[in-house]
Amino acid sequence: MVSVNPLQNRIVASTPFKMPNILKKAYNALPSFETASDKFMTHVEKFGQKCTSAHQRGILGATALLTQPFIDAHNKSVDDKTRKYSVARTIAKIVAGTMTGVAIRYGCIKAMGCKPFLPKKWEGLAKETQAQYKNAMGTIVSLVVMLFTNFLIDAPLTKFLTNVMTDFPKPDKGAEK
Amino acid sequence: MKTPELKNIFKPLAKSWDGFKETILKKYGEQPGTMLVHTGTLGWILSSLAQIAAIVFNDKIPNEQKVFLIPQEFADAATNILSFYAVTYSGKALASKLVKTGKIRNAKISKFLDSIPNLDKSKIGNWDFDVTKQAGFKTSGIENDFKNFKNGVDVYAGLAGSILSSNIITPVIRNKYASERQKNTLNRMNAYKMKNMQAPRGISMENYLNNVYANSSSLKI
Repeated sequence: MVSVNPLQNRIVASTPFKMPNILKKAYNALPSFETASDKFMTHVEKFGQKCTSAHQRGILGATALLTQPFIDAHNKSVDDKTRKYSVARTIAKIVAGTMTGVAIRYGCIKAMGCKPFLPKKWEGLAKETQAQYKNAMGTIVSLVVMLFTNFLIDAPLTKFLTNVMTDFPKPDKGAEK
Repeated sequence: MKTPELKNIFKPLAKSWDGFKETILKKYGEQPGTMLVHTGTLGWILSSLAQIAAIVFNDKIPNEQKVFLIPQEFADAATNILSFYAVTYSGKALASKLVKTGKIRNAKISKFLDSIPNLDKSKIGNWDFDVTKQAGFKTSGIENDFKNFKNGVDVYAGLAGSILSSNIITPVIRNKYASERQKNTLNRMNAYKMKNMQAPRGISMENYLNNVYANSSSLKI
């Protein structure tokens, strides 16, 4: 690629990133895969169109509940009491984060049909592009909303759930000193 | 008279808002996979901040546990954000490449490639091959099917990457880091306590002995 540097008025040659030949060969050696089933193909295409950030958050939360507490429970480098806290907090965090995350993302994406959020020439856009735009804009708006709900809902809910699951007595102030 | 002034105030804001909407449409309108990676990363940053605050202000968690949980949360945030972006983005980029080079294709794309005259079929799926640069890609009507298929594979890859990074890589790394931090901090706390226990505060041994002698000499036996 050749470009002219306007400041020095010189022609500068820049080489784009080149994949090493050995990696190219390894890539080329991978077998090709063709989705033969129309049903599977349609599913993949529809998933790309329908999967919103709310679905993504829900799937992440569900899989997190299957893996993260298990990993924390097998963390041998901390004592039993800390491990118990860690597992409880992880579960509480996943439950609280997933519940509010999915609900707020879903609500914000739905609300993106309102006129102030729509771009110009909305009517001329393809249906799929409209859906993807709503998904993107709704997710961004939901992140702004979550700036507040993270503190107002997520954090207190995580705290409440952690305390319910551990039920440790409040530490004696005198003992701490 | 006030309305036009207000309008003037809000005009630049409205213009910026319109520009922002157009950017979102251009950047993410046809790339749901990229949008999920970018917003996911931003989401982790914000939720990590809230989680750290939740531990700091929870007075029911004893200090010894806080010493573990706060670094755990910081480690969680850093590894989550970095691994989420790196793993998810790499997974998505690889999936895009696989579809673009024709390594993964659906029946429609195969049919389109078969219909191209003089195409060296052995090159399909190679690193330098690009389905979108083949003759007739834009005119044969395959463009839309290709885009939908690519978006689907991208989203699946992004999802797989985010599960791998957030639910497996992150918890393992953050636990290792946080337990190291806990050990170090507890050692420091114990050392501090020991230091304070060694001598009475505000008086040296010399002063103490002088006081004892002074008092004993004034005793009348």
